[in-house]
Amino acid sequence: MISAHNLTKRFGYQTAVDALSFVVPAGQIVGFLGPNGAGKSTTLKMLTGIVEPTDGTATICGFDLRRDTLEVKRHIGFVPESGAVFESLTGLEYLVMIAALYGIPEDAAVARIRQFIAFFDLSFETLTDKLLGAYSKGMKHKVVITAALLHNPPVVFFDEPLDGLDANAAVGFKALIQTLAREGKTIVYSSHILDVVERVCDRVIIIDKGRLLADGRPDELIAARNAGTLERLFTDLTGGAELERRAKDFAMTFRS
Amino acid sequence: MSAPSPSSPLLPSRAPTPERALGKLFLTLFLRGRAVRGLKKAGVPKSVGWKLKLILGFYAFAGCMALTSLSQPVFTLAIYLHAMTLLFLGTYIASSAGEMLFNKEEADILGHRPVTSKALLRAKIQVLLRMSLWMAGAFNLVGFFVGVAASDGGWFFPVSHAFSTVLQALFCTGSVVLVYQLCLRWFGRERLDTVMTAAQVLMTVGFVVGSQVAPQLIARFGRQMHVQPDAWWMWLLPPAWFAGLDDALAGSHGKGSWAMAVAGVLLTVLVLWLAFGKLAQTYGAGLQAVNEATGSTPGPRKSGRGLLSQLVHAPPLRWWLRDSVSRASFLLATAYLMRDRDTKLRVFPGLAPMLVMPLIPFFSASDNGGAFSGLSILVPFSSCYLGILPLVALGLLETSQQWRAAEIFRAAPTPGPASLCHGARVAVMCLLVLPALLLYGVILWLVGIGAKQFALMLPGLILLPVYALIPCLRGHAVPISQPPEGVNAAGRGLRQLVVMFVSLALGGVSLWAFSTGWFVWFLLGEALIAAVVYLLMSRVAASVRWSSLE
Repeated sequence: MISAHNLTKRFGYQTAVDALSFVVPAGQIVGFLGPNGAGKSTTLKMLTGIVEPTDGTATICGFDLRRDTLEVKRHIGFVPESGAVFESLTGLEYLVMIAALYGIPEDAAVARIRQFIAFFDLSFETLTDKLLGAYSKGMKHKVVITAALLHNPPVVFFDEPLDGLDANAAVGFKALIQTLAREGKTIVYSSHILDVVERVCDRVIIIDKGRLLADGRPDELIAARNAGTLERLFTDLTGGAELERRAKDFAMTFRS
Repeated sequence: MSAPSPSSPLLPSRAPTPERALGKLFLTLFLRGRAVRGLKKAGVPKSVGWKLKLILGFYAFAGCMALTSLSQPVFTLAIYLHAMTLLFLGTYIASSAGEMLFNKEEADILGHRPVTSKALLRAKIQVLLRMSLWMAGAFNLVGFFVGVAASDGGWFFPVSHAFSTVLQALFCTGSVVLVYQLCLRWFGRERLDTVMTAAQVLMTVGFVVGSQVAPQLIARFGRQMHVQPDAWWMWLLPPAWFAGLDDALAGSHGKGSWAMAVAGVLLTVLVLWLAFGKLAQTYGAGLQAVNEATGSTPGPRKSGRGLLSQLVHAPPLRWWLRDSVSRASFLLATAYLMRDRDTKLRVFPGLAPMLVMPLIPFFSASDNGGAFSGLSILVPFSSCYLGILPLVALGLLETSQQWRAAEIFRAAPTPGPASLCHGARVAVMCLLVLPALLLYGVILWLVGIGAKQFALMLPGLILLPVYALIPCLRGHAVPISQPPEGVNAAGRGLRQLVVMFVSLALGGVSLWAFSTGWFVWFLLGEALIAAVVYLLMSRVAASVRWSSLE
């Protein structure tokens, strides 16, 4: 469903993503992990057509990212980390506008939006009576998730999707993506909440400094490195173990 | 919580086109603004139609000034109408186009949607064009009929003027878009933001200054240089090309007018072709550049920050900025004035009229010598008018799209906004008011103001610190703390109006004192009163506490 081959992005002299290659079949939930600045968001932005790769290729649902960019975009949904929305639109105006970009008529869009707001425990009045600028972070994020799934895409990219969601919404969301995967959708899930990734994802890809460090089933990777947990595996691979010692040293400075 | 059925069919029965949806989106964003202080927006949002009617009503009202040109020749009337149209459209389009054409957040919202960069550009241009045409139409509404009564006009004037106005609106919008496209082409991604900001600021300031000064220059030199379509210098003024079209079709039908008309049409076609045809292909690359700007790591930045950090710790700024909070506020205000596109676009074009207005009378006045006549009479009034400069600057610096970041000030252990206001006030005085006053002094010297008359600037200068304290009295000078759409513009305008009236009254009194030989005593008295008022106001400003957030 997703195939990346030597995907590379350079910003000037800095290489953000370095020849990344992987294949994700349909119906799989892939956890895309890495420390800050590892190149996760840049990779997702390349795969969603927001940023052009410097080198390498990728295909999504059989469409070439460079050649058939519009077709790729029709087949994907994306929840960006920023959670950006047009704040001077109401939630409904925003979602209806997004639906229109996929050729969905307003009545069909509203029917679908009603399903989502029921799922997220939002009221329709909130969606019509308030500008998005007045929404809480969590509410805004629910609208962004709705906007990503409204057109029923076969491939969905989530960049920190739980950010701002309350505990109930987060539980519901995890159930949602598992249901979506069972329906055959491919999910790429980038997050720093490793225990959620461990529970939800069929497979994890760990990158650092733009390079692939590990790729496989979470339990297999953990067992192979005798890490015990995904968090331990992650810190071992990305040099996070050193951070614990540094944190202890740093905490000592507060004593003086 | 039951999950929405992901496989339910979504077959479009009457699918709207993406272009139509984008057009509606950008028009709404254009009229409502991109960010709002949502906390204040409890009710149902007002329709954009209502806002549009209000804007067009304002422009139609402003267009009534054309009634003062009744019975003028068509060329004179048309050049006035086109100059003012260019001012209104130019400033409006230049200040909005950058945000509309290259918006960073837009990539995360629309970058992964199935729309091409060409469709995005087309939708944005359509909105810009539509707005310019509506605004130009509203402003020229009265002018259409005034032209019928022009000395050489007739019933054909409304038709010709409608045509020339449409052409000018296209020229204006095309020029702004062209400047952006050229910035993108000539300067790389690294410098794109800085260059585009500078271009936008210069364009807006140029439109404001040009349209204020040009009519005065025409009035002053026009008689000597013959305000006729065939005057060589007329070719330098874009409004003259379109006025030539009016004159050729519905006025004198002179050869010079026809030549200008042809130039206007050809140049408009050229600008449109370059902006929307030839250079439109680079728009996609421009969007990519903006998208990538967040991921790139620019080289070491040579800003004045290091120098300023040293300056605030050295006299005289160290004496003026005694506590760390006001020093931090000074540096924050300075950084935003120097680097932030949104702030620069708001502050510099906003201050341009403040600088130009006091100078305009000098273009139309002549000096007959003596202390109480000619140009010197204008000095105290103009310098008092300049007194509102810090007031306006602080008001503009208070607003920012990043106002949410200012919530940290409330979380900090400061009893109120006094120190923050003080830092911003010092930044405005040092970085904006002082250079403006120096510039103003140079211009006065150039127009022939003598050394003795320069003393007439003093009454205005003495009151500058007092004026600058006014926004601090209610804590309304905390930098970047308010959303642009959330400020009380009416209250701010009223404050400026009151200060302007006080300034003008003071100008009158100082002129009287100057002519009767009491000027030195007047200055001493004014300085004493100003010092007392300043101290009292400082106390009030220091006691201000944070107001509760709505």
